[in-house]
Amino acid sequence: MDNNLTLTFVTADGDRTPVKTESGTSFLDSAREVDIDVVATCGARGKCRGCRVKVLKGSVAPPTIMDEVQLGPDEVHEGFRLACQTRIIADTEIMLAPPQTEGGHQILGGGDDASRRAGIEMGSGVEKNFVTAVIPMDEHVQSSDIEEILTATGASQSGPLSPDLLRKLPAVLRKKKGAVTVTTFNGNILDIEVGDTTEHKYGMAFDIGTTSICGSLLDLDTGEQLASVGEINPQSVYGGDLMSRLAFAQFDLGNLRKLRARAIQAVSGQIKEACEKADVAPEHIYKVVVVGNTAMHHIFLGIDPTYIGLAPYSPSIRDAVEMPARDLMLKTIPNATVCMLPIVAGFVGADAMGAILATRIFESEEIRALVDIGTNGEVIMGRKGKLMACSAPAGPALEGAQIKHGMRGAIGAIEKVYIDDDVICETIGNAPATGICGSGLIDAAANMLKSGVLQASGRLRNKDDESLPPALAARLSGSGGKAAFILVYAEDSGKDEDITLTQEDIRQLQLAKGAIYSGILMLQRIMEVSDEDLAELQLAGGFGNYINTASAVAIHLLTPLPLEKITYVGNAALMGAEMALISETERKRADGLAKEIEHVSLAARMDFQDIFIEAMGFPETKTDDPIAKTGT
Amino acid sequence: MATPELQIPEGWKDRAPDGWDWQPLWEAVERGHNEFTHDFVTNAIETDIGPKIILDDGLFPGFNLQGDRFSEQIILIPEMLITARAMKAGLALIRPLLAAMAEKPLGHFVIGTVLGDMHDIGQSIVTIMLENAGFVITNLGTDVHPDRFIEAAREQKADLIGFSALLSTTVYYQKVTIEELQKAGVRDKVKILIGGAPTTQEWADEIGADGWGKDAIEAVKLARTLVEEKREAWA
Repeated sequence: MDNNLTLTFVTADGDRTPVKTESGTSFLDSAREVDIDVVATCGARGKCRGCRVKVLKGSVAPPTIMDEVQLGPDEVHEGFRLACQTRIIADTEIMLAPPQTEGGHQILGGGDDASRRAGIEMGSGVEKNFVTAVIPMDEHVQSSDIEEILTATGASQSGPLSPDLLRKLPAVLRKKKGAVTVTTFNGNILDIEVGDTTEHKYGMAFDIGTTSICGSLLDLDTGEQLASVGEINPQSVYGGDLMSRLAFAQFDLGNLRKLRARAIQAVSGQIKEACEKADVAPEHIYKVVVVGNTAMHHIFLGIDPTYIGLAPYSPSIRDAVEMPARDLMLKTIPNATVCMLPIVAGFVGADAMGAILATRIFESEEIRALVDIGTNGEVIMGRKGKLMACSAPAGPALEGAQIKHGMRGAIGAIEKVYIDDDVICETIGNAPATGICGSGLIDAAANMLKSGVLQASGRLRNKDDESLPPALAARLSGSGGKAAFILVYAEDSGKDEDITLTQEDIRQLQLAKGAIYSGILMLQRIMEVSDEDLAELQLAGGFGNYINTASAVAIHLLTPLPLEKITYVGNAALMGAEMALISETERKRADGLAKEIEHVSLAARMDFQDIFIEAMGFPETKTDDPIAKTGT
Repeated sequence: MATPELQIPEGWKDRAPDGWDWQPLWEAVERGHNEFTHDFVTNAIETDIGPKIILDDGLFPGFNLQGDRFSEQIILIPEMLITARAMKAGLALIRPLLAAMAEKPLGHFVIGTVLGDMHDIGQSIVTIMLENAGFVITNLGTDVHPDRFIEAAREQKADLIGFSALLSTTVYYQKVTIEELQKAGVRDKVKILIGGAPTTQEWADEIGADGWGKDAIEAVKLARTLVEEKREAWA
């Protein structure tokens, strides 16, 4: 054997192991020769992403079809390969287990700097002026500190000044002989500081979701993101889903106060954290834009949300709200004005408004759909001049709740499932499986349908069914409502038990995906939009990013469109808030849009039940069934 | 547990024209194909088969099979709903014919979803099952104000009232509705059943309902028992 080539393995920590190897050997085999552990879940068949590596130096053979399928064109282009598929042709350096470019499964932030600023008119409404005001000297002139400052800046104060500002004014003005920086928001004075601080002008955008709260600190002049923060909504202890949290606050103002205090604490904490990360003084945050669903919006403002939970689910206010941060008990940012984006109607809240701004669906010439998959999903459909929205209560199943082995997208969660003669599961972090997350659930159902383990009716096939490959049949247990399918056997799992998907789990998935899909179908029906008419379907929300679109289509969670028409837009709600933060034009635009968008109440529609039934089913795979053909 | 099987009505061939076969209809109802059911029942009516025969020999076998599976939890709401919808399509055609035959009903049942709640999926399954069992139903729909329950109960001289709540935010109105029935002097003239996903037996006891239906099957059983129990007479 002629070991004439050098392959160097580099770990994420920078440790290097050079190996002499023969031309044409696969990266994986080279690694195994020297006992370097490379995860190869699928048995080196190119059917999983376990052995993904990044080529750092050296020529690399063209990608195989498996590389392309597993990694996608972008990653392949950036030099990512599957170690089992790639053969060495020259001296090469590769990185083992490179970080996932999707950023793992953390809580999702808003947009990047470029897309946030694209096509919008910058101008946050916050102005900072460095002036030298005259200090009143002459006893005979009727003047005051504030009047001199107004004269120097040319500001036209229309609202009341904060008492704190007035209290510090005499000292601030005289410290440097009248040299002060005056900060205004839409003309009204927010703060007066000693000396020149015009460089420091910041703002924050927040998305207060039922499940998580995330924020983004931006430079108001450049729109550049300086810090991003996020955490699980601490209100969750009072109920995981929206309705149970509303029920908690219903007819009980004490409980409302508890919920509100937790939201305010979380936001205050995130402001502090973001300011520390970016080395920004909280006093220099002048504008905060907040989005959130209708319930979170009301609770944040301390408005009784009781009636949002009851038909006709009408909010107390739909218009944009603007108030000093101190009125909201956000004491960390004494100089800021908090702006809430408007609510469309019912459960289609300020978060949906944010997503609408971010995706520019109101400028589109073609019909597009925007789907936010969450505990309380939202669907917005239409184009320039005609937009409709509805909310689709999916419940928390898609986030792993109410699923026997369900879990959030954390280390050890099954996120991808492959089935042919047997089952291969991929977990986050390639750790032994401890449960399944939402994206894994969708993937599992799609592949179980394809392989026949799951029937179109949603029923698991009987374990005695001879049409199934033996390895799959062996994974089935129980019957009827107690049936289950083993994804990972106990000995391979990170628990002492089999990781299964039960019949009941499948039913929960059907209800959840049926809610989302019926929202899409309903708007399609009302707007008379066929599948072909839809130019694009955009997936928003933290969860949307991790869904395998092919699987989502295969189980009819989403409209069966060609996959290239389905795109991810990330946390569009937060990105919309960011846009309204750096552009008053965009913030004002939201006011108009909120009134224009037509809201559809699903439950109030006579045809909802039929649509829901249709949406709950899985697509029929058999076409040789005479009754199925004549049926619905 | 025994796997439920299709119960083929004894002697159905004697009650049908020569060469007639109900098998496709049993299957269509079981699998919830409502258009097929509609067409098949239409054809049966045109062939002069009696409505009671269509109901018992044609529609019930498939429906009962699914009903049994439903109560054994072999199937769940989605499939039960699809079957119920097909059943409804068939029933809609023969109900006017049955009404003309004027059989004495088991009782009058007023049903609806409480104020503030727009959900009616579970309720519509219960409605169909109660109808099949022989109750006369007044379905008030969704978001029903307590006054409308009271009004309908008086008009129909109802034996039972049932109301569902599907949201954790609306179960409260089950309590309110019972209180209003009490105030109106209707409470003791009827038996009250409640149901809905967030409800429990404890909740039913707490608010003073007469019964709690865990599912549609349970609700029908309860209704059959409760209708026999003593109540104040309607004036």
